[in-house]
Amino acid sequence: MPKIPKQTLKEVKYREKYKADEKFAYRSTIISVIFGGIFLTVSLILNTEFITLFLNQNIIWNIVDVSIKTVVILLFFLFMITSIGNYKELIGKPLNWKELLLLIFLSIGQTLLNPWVFISTFLGLILIIIYLFIVQEI
Amino acid sequence: MYNLRITGLFTLKKTASRITVSLILFNIICISFLIIPKGYSASEEIESKFGDAPKIDGIINISTNEWNQAKKLQVTLNDLPIKLWVMNDEENLYLSVQLDLLPAAHNYSEFVGIMISNSSSENLEDFIDARIVQFINISENEFEYFDYSINNSIFKNDTINTGNGAARLEDISSTYEFSIPLNDINLDDEDASVEHGKSSAFMIVYGVSPYYPSGIRKNITVLVNIASLSTITPLFINSTLFILVIIIFITLGALYGFYVYKIFTLKNKIERIKH
Repeated sequence: MPKIPKQTLKEVKYREKYKADEKFAYRSTIISVIFGGIFLTVSLILNTEFITLFLNQNIIWNIVDVSIKTVVILLFFLFMITSIGNYKELIGKPLNWKELLLLIFLSIGQTLLNPWVFISTFLGLILIIIYLFIVQEI
Repeated sequence: MYNLRITGLFTLKKTASRITVSLILFNIICISFLIIPKGYSASEEIESKFGDAPKIDGIINISTNEWNQAKKLQVTLNDLPIKLWVMNDEENLYLSVQLDLLPAAHNYSEFVGIMISNSSSENLEDFIDARIVQFINISENEFEYFDYSINNSIFKNDTINTGNGAARLEDISSTYEFSIPLNDINLDDEDASVEHGKSSAFMIVYGVSPYYPSGIRKNITVLVNIASLSTITPLFINSTLFILVIIIFITLGALYGFYVYKIFTLKNKIERIKH
């Protein structure tokens, strides 16, 4: 009878943990891409001014309008980068600068019709990247 | 709930700290530019904005984004708060006055008028022109538009009515809309000269009986800086930006679809990598 090497308890635990992690990452990829899609649709409706939320009643409503548009784009960026990051992890490659820049460019591109949304989204993206960078480094 | 898991997001490490510090400094500089307070002089000063001409009918049509580009502010006629919207195009200056009053407080023959100074002077004698939208029967939304010239506080009907005005009462809110021609050639001195790139004083008046000026109950003077023609964003720039945004959304849609497809085939790919 051929000898089959026995798996140690440690190896079994490691494999189980790896499988659980993989499942978790896959689920996270799917959930994030769904949310990303929802925010992309909302952004399409608001940032192409297909629907106007507020009729620029005054400065406060203007700020609310710009904030909503900005937050929608930033959430789209955040969910998509989470999803892509997890996807890349699953296939064993790191997320590179080209992909990150493409996502930043496409997020910024959504704001071209409103300079205030452009500025606030640009600043928001920088803050998110700094935050992610710090989180990754720590 | 899931966590942020972006392993391998950043591979650049050598200059990372320098970039981080530079970005933070850049952010602080950008934000500091946004916190410049805006000052107002004694009378309200309004920067008119360029926009698409609204239909002067007393109705603000939200579905067509009417008045969307106007400068919008809240002012008080003595003790009566009103919404004042100001915009202009190449030909006209447009003003909308909206006031909310309890149904019983709306007078049968309520009116709103715009008295125009010939310059930026706010002296009473310099207001030589008046445009009035007068309700004849407010419950039936019947109104009339008048163009007067003012001489020593005497209102005289112009021989030629210029501009346009309309009003409408809906629930508690009455909306008045005016269009006043810009750069009008004024041969008979009946109208005040209102021009692009110049400031003009306007007196917004509210009254309850069709007698002028005795029927005027409340007023406020505002200084309107009418946007010069050079500040118009050319139509082709707007169209180009819109087309660019549409292209970006189409690209995003296509990439999103491709990415979703890749996720669905991911499991097979993982298996292939494992083997």
